[in-house]
Formats: sequence, C-alpha cells, structure tokens
Amino acid sequence: MPDEPTRHILSDFESSLDDLRKNVLMMASLTSRNLENARKGLFERDEDWCNTAIADDEEIDALEIQIDRDGIEIMLRFHPFASDLRNVIAGMKMSANLERVADQAVGIARRSRKLNLHPPLPETSAIEPLFKHAVAMLNDSVRAYAEGNTELARTLKPRDRELDAMNRDFANRVTELMPTNPDLIRGYLELIFIARFLERIGDQSTSIAEDTVFAVVAEDIRHSTPPA
Amino acid sequence: MPTLMQEEIATSPNESHQAKPVTTARTDFLSVRNFDFFYGKKQALFGVNMDIPEKQVTAFIGPSGCGKSTLLRNFNRMNELIDGVRHSGEITICGQSIFDPKIEVIALRRAVGMVFQKSNPFPKSIYENIVYSLRISGKNSKGVLDEAVERSLRGAALWEEVKDRLHESALGLSGGQMQRLCIARAIANRPKVLLMDEPCSALDPIATVKVEELISELKKDFTIVIVTHNMQQATRCSDRTAFFYLGKLIEYDVTQKIFSNPSQKQTEDYITGRFG
Repeated sequence: MPDEPTRHILSDFESSLDDLRKNVLMMASLTSRNLENARKGLFERDEDWCNTAIADDEEIDALEIQIDRDGIEIMLRFHPFASDLRNVIAGMKMSANLERVADQAVGIARRSRKLNLHPPLPETSAIEPLFKHAVAMLNDSVRAYAEGNTELARTLKPRDRELDAMNRDFANRVTELMPTNPDLIRGYLELIFIARFLERIGDQSTSIAEDTVFAVVAEDIRHSTPPA
Repeated sequence: MPTLMQEEIATSPNESHQAKPVTTARTDFLSVRNFDFFYGKKQALFGVNMDIPEKQVTAFIGPSGCGKSTLLRNFNRMNELIDGVRHSGEITICGQSIFDPKIEVIALRRAVGMVFQKSNPFPKSIYENIVYSLRISGKNSKGVLDEAVERSLRGAALWEEVKDRLHESALGLSGGQMQRLCIARAIANRPKVLLMDEPCSALDPIATVKVEELISELKKDFTIVIVTHNMQQATRCSDRTAFFYLGKLIEYDVTQKIFSNPSQKQTEDYITGRFG
C-alpha cells in the first residue's frame, strides 16, 4: 500500500470531486466580487456598482443549484465514505452559505441605491470598519476551506463575536442620533440594515469555517464556545 | 458462564420461581488473542487481537487475500480440513477455547454455523435439508423435527414461501431462497454464532436486500460475523467493522466511525477507493 495520498482509482470519482471543489471556490470568488461591488456602490455612491452586484447574483444562484446537483450525483454514483463524504457535504453546505452571503451583498446594494438618492450621511464612514471586518472574515473562511486550514477556521467564531459587538455599537450610535436628526431617520435606518447584513455575513462565514473543520478533521464545532 | 455446548444454566428448585436476572450481552463473546495462522510455510494471519460482541453483527472487510475469510473459517475450525495448516494464539467463545481438546469439532460446527458465498443446499427436499444435522445427531422424533423445520424456516423468513412444498427438492428454489434455506439449515442447530462468508455476492439486488433484512432480525438471537466485499452492505448491516490488510487487523471499531472518520490512514485509503 502506498504511503503517500493517492488519487482515487476511479478517475470519474476523482474528477467529480475536483469539479465540485472548483465550483465551490468559483462561487466563493464571485460572491467576494459581488460584495466588493456592493461596497464600492455604498462608499463611492455609485449606482452602477450597485446594479452590477444585484444583476450578478443570478450567476451565483445558478452555481448553488449546480453544486447541489453535483453533490447528489457524487453520492448516488460513488457512495463516498470518510473524508470524501465529509467534503461533499461540506461543499454543498458551503454553497448554501455563500448564496446567502451573496443575498446580503444584494441587500447592501439595494439599500445603498436608496441612500445614494439623498445627500451623503457622515455616519456612512463609521460602517467601514464593519465592512472590512466582514470581508476579512469571508475571505479567511474561504481560504481556510481552500487550504484545509483548521487553525484559521477556528479563528472565525471569536471574530464573529467581535463583529456582533461592532454591529450593536453602530446601531446604538446611529439610533441615538435619530431624535436630533429626524430628517435623516430614513438614511439611518438604511445604514442599520446594511450593518445587519454585514453581521449576517459574519455568521455565514463562521458557518463556512465550521464546515471546513468538519470536512478536514470530522469535528463538529457548531454551537460550541471557543476558548477565550 | 454458559459454555459452548451447554443449554441454559440450570437453576435450583428454590430459585426457579424467581425472575431470572437480566444478563448483559458480552462484549468479548468471541475473542481472538495473538492469533497467527499458517498455510504451510505461508503466514496468512499476523497477531490478530479482537473481541466480537454478543448478538451484534461484525463485518470483516479488506482486499482479496487479506485474511478475512481465513480468520472466519478459524472460528469453526473449518481450516483444519486443509492439509498443512497450523496456528498459534487463541480463539475463545464465552471464555472457552475452541481448540480445547475436550471440544468435539462437529459439535463446535453446530454451535458455530456457517453460510457460504455460493448457496449449497443438499440435493434433498427442503425438509430434509433442515433436519439433516438433527437426524445424524440422533434426533428422529417427527414432532421435534417438524418443530425445528418450522422454527428455522420462519427464522430465515422462508416459511411462508415454502410451507406448502416442504418435501419438494431444495434445488427447485431460486438463488435467494436457496441462500435463506442454507441460513435456516444453519440456525436449526440453535448455534451461538453464525458465520457468513459473502452471503449475498451471488444474489440479485432484491434477494440481497431480503437477506440483509434477515440478518438484522437474526442478530436478536445470534452473534453474526460477516465477510463482505460490499462496503455499502457493511454500513447497512453491521454494528462493528474490522478492516484487514495483508493478514493484519488494521482497524476495528463501530461501523459508523470506520466509514465516516477512520483512525488509520490505510483504512481511509481503502474505503475511499485509493487502493484496492
């Protein structure tokens, strides 16, 4: 028996697993791009970027359906076991989480479009740290999956708690401004929604990381409290 | 503790009216210790150690030539029919060595029944197939034989299909029915252990499913060890799975663990089809 990892004897099985993985990484790449377009639409007040993020969501939805089909076919044809089974399941779950991230990007784009109809709000810049944090979480969760890096994956949960706290602080801060600026309440509400979308991106990135740990080492770290 | 050949432990008259204590199934019902086996000069098994629990299904998997059928055939000393074999180490059932000189090997083979890959009914009637071993052990009372036939055929989920043609030739049955007849024949002796060497590999999918369903019923009464090349079958049927390679026991654990997260890389490579 060879000591080093080898390819599956069934070449179709090997290529099916490779294709599934590539589609998941493609979907992650498109999702990141959409989120970046939504970010530009918000901070550069550019409606075209917002429209692009909304329109490109369709491609991501189609990939989710394709990945689910591919995963089911792999299970039907090849009856995968052990790490192969875990990777197929993780890939299918990851695509669902990426699709939700893409939906959050669409939500951000739509809210940004509404914000851009009005004079700029100074508080918009205060949301930038949340955006950076959420984007970094998404990128790291995808990198952890691509590299099979469970150490990186395990950092996502505490970072998600930080993002939750940032979201709460931002919402409180903006809410406090409302009584003294009643004309800007509509804009403040859009910003609160955008912050909420970013908080959800953090949740979905954490789920991606949890699924990565499960795929690599068969450990279910969902609903557990990470060490301080 | 009950021995291989004993029936239920006798109770004294004063104890007979009391409720019998609930006995916990033994985890080491069938035990293998430091077992080596040789076909002449060729060593086929190397230091096998395992405990097979009572009234569970244990599956042996591994590539061809890995020793799984060799070990299976040692449990009822079938390998002794081959010239030039020898072994070292121990195999016990309920703590009693199967190699104890006091053990009659014929009695052992009644207590440890076996079903083979190719069903092998005798060229006799269905009825005579079941009662053959009972007759040669001296049981000839019609009542006893009739009871054994119905019990065994019901136990093998075959009674309803053959009850009206018990005295017809067994060779007229379908492949799946023949295999279930062989199972009925094995359980007619009320064995402690049932060994099955790829029992479904010659059967069509429907017959296979029927035998697998039968196995899940039989484990309520018998300890079952099954050799299979079909890993999906192992996941469906067995409680524990042992992976063998080149005569060594590589990994032995709860079936769900073996197939979802094996501890040994060799096991993972085999079950994921990276070698074989």
